[in-house]
Amino acid sequence: MNFIARFLFELQEMSLLAGRAITGTFRKPRYVPETIAQMDYIGVGSLTIIVLTGFFTGGVLTLQTYQTLESYGAVDQLGYLVSISLIRELGPVLTALMVTGRVVSAISAELGSMVVSEQIDAMRALGTDPIRKLVAPRILALVITLPLLTLITDVMGIVGGWQVSTFLYGLPSSMFINSVKDGITTDDLIGGIIKPLFFAFLMGTIACHKGLKTEGGTVGVGRSTTSAVVMASIIVIIADFILARALQLILGTQG
Amino acid sequence: MMTQASIDQSVDNRVSDLAAESTFREIDDTHRAIPAIEFRNVTMIYDGRKVLNDLSFKVMKGETKIILGGSGCGKSTTIKLVLGLIKPDTGQILVDGEDVTDYSEAQMMRVRKKIGMIFQEGALFDSLSVYENVAFKLHEQGVPEEEVENEVRRMLRFVNLEDAIDKMPSELSGGMRRRVGIARALVGDPKIVMFDEPTAGLDPPTARTICELAMKLRDLEDVSSIFVTHEMNNLDYLTSEYAVVNEAGEVVFEKEGEKLCLINSKVLMMRDGKIIFSGTDETLRKAEDPYIHKFLRGH
Repeated sequence: MNFIARFLFELQEMSLLAGRAITGTFRKPRYVPETIAQMDYIGVGSLTIIVLTGFFTGGVLTLQTYQTLESYGAVDQLGYLVSISLIRELGPVLTALMVTGRVVSAISAELGSMVVSEQIDAMRALGTDPIRKLVAPRILALVITLPLLTLITDVMGIVGGWQVSTFLYGLPSSMFINSVKDGITTDDLIGGIIKPLFFAFLMGTIACHKGLKTEGGTVGVGRSTTSAVVMASIIVIIADFILARALQLILGTQG
Repeated sequence: MMTQASIDQSVDNRVSDLAAESTFREIDDTHRAIPAIEFRNVTMIYDGRKVLNDLSFKVMKGETKIILGGSGCGKSTTIKLVLGLIKPDTGQILVDGEDVTDYSEAQMMRVRKKIGMIFQEGALFDSLSVYENVAFKLHEQGVPEEEVENEVRRMLRFVNLEDAIDKMPSELSGGMRRRVGIARALVGDPKIVMFDEPTAGLDPPTARTICELAMKLRDLEDVSSIFVTHEMNNLDYLTSEYAVVNEAGEVVFEKEGEKLCLINSKVLMMRDGKIIFSGTDETLRKAEDPYIHKFLRGH
């Protein structure tokens, strides 16, 4: 099978998996406890890395842009610049990449191990559909938690930027906060929430697909985990570009 | 005090009960003539190689079909096909007379409910305790917890593992994991059970225990099964002994001896995806095929 045929085949398999996971979410039995457990693992479990990522990204943005803005006499725009960069781009993408590293790898490895130890076959033999029991709750949990985590990254990024501007550069707090308040629009916020919804769906589908397609024992688990993380990271970056352009057109913003 | 009329009535009732019973038996017998599992010219190709080549066989009700063969001869593939975990390239697979070859995953879920499958390494869910593993099917069906616990305890008693109910799979030995796997597969009393090399890598006494469980299912529960193995002692146990309940109500295993011949255990030998022998263990031992000779004697 050549590269294009393999790519199309994989795309088809992923679309089918995603379709079955979506329909499975709306049918009985509903796996609510499983979804809540996954939300706890993905959402609550990722809080520390998300808080740190957001805070230091906001901080470094201030660090890198303060002097440039000062040379143009536009320091009063610092809060706006930091918040808009975070809400539109860095927040959704960095959160997605951090969660990819932590969660996509874990989902892929977990499902992969279940495949090689025949647990997935056992589940099917016991009359339970693994897509509804394992895949759908994981994708749903990602779709619910990633936008919330992104929101936390954004807030922590703004806090980080504000702290650096106040404590390192002695900028008045009110100047930073006012420029954040004046700069952010509803469209920015909507864009910042829509992106993680798509990212989460793509990340979840890739993680589960790669995990369930694991072949070749424990070596195969490692291979599918690596492949899931690499693929999800690249897809997040590509999807970010496509979504940014689509949001520009739909919302009439500058993306 | 009974009147003549009431005596007549009670006799009539007994007669009609007997008639109903005989009719029932008749229907039941017709039902028994339908094989529990049937393969018709099943071929399976994987990576350009014929894993199964024109495979045809039947497993009758209450019969144990022992599938023998070396590694990679298609034994495990055969039982995965019965459950629809994989699909054949050509041929037909019938379960209880129902052609399941082209069934979708959703349709297969219904068929799988009447089949129990015991995996090679147990395939227990690592994240669930022994109790939750055995209760898996019942929890999925939304059975009340009290009933679930009774059923789980009954199944664990059957495999002699009630003490391990709260343990996690990682705390169990290989033999215990297989036995929990058996308990899990037997929840809901399936009438068809698949054993995928259940004794591989186990010490002889534990392997014997697993074979005894298979014999109990065959002789006391009227279960039809496919028992995939490459170990000759499994063949010896399953084809020469049978389970009965003695006067004290205990299950004991007796040898078939000289006067008796077990007919509810048949052997199927496979090589490179083909059936090279089908019959009883007695005829297998007399077979002149050099591969069978080597397989039986190990040299």
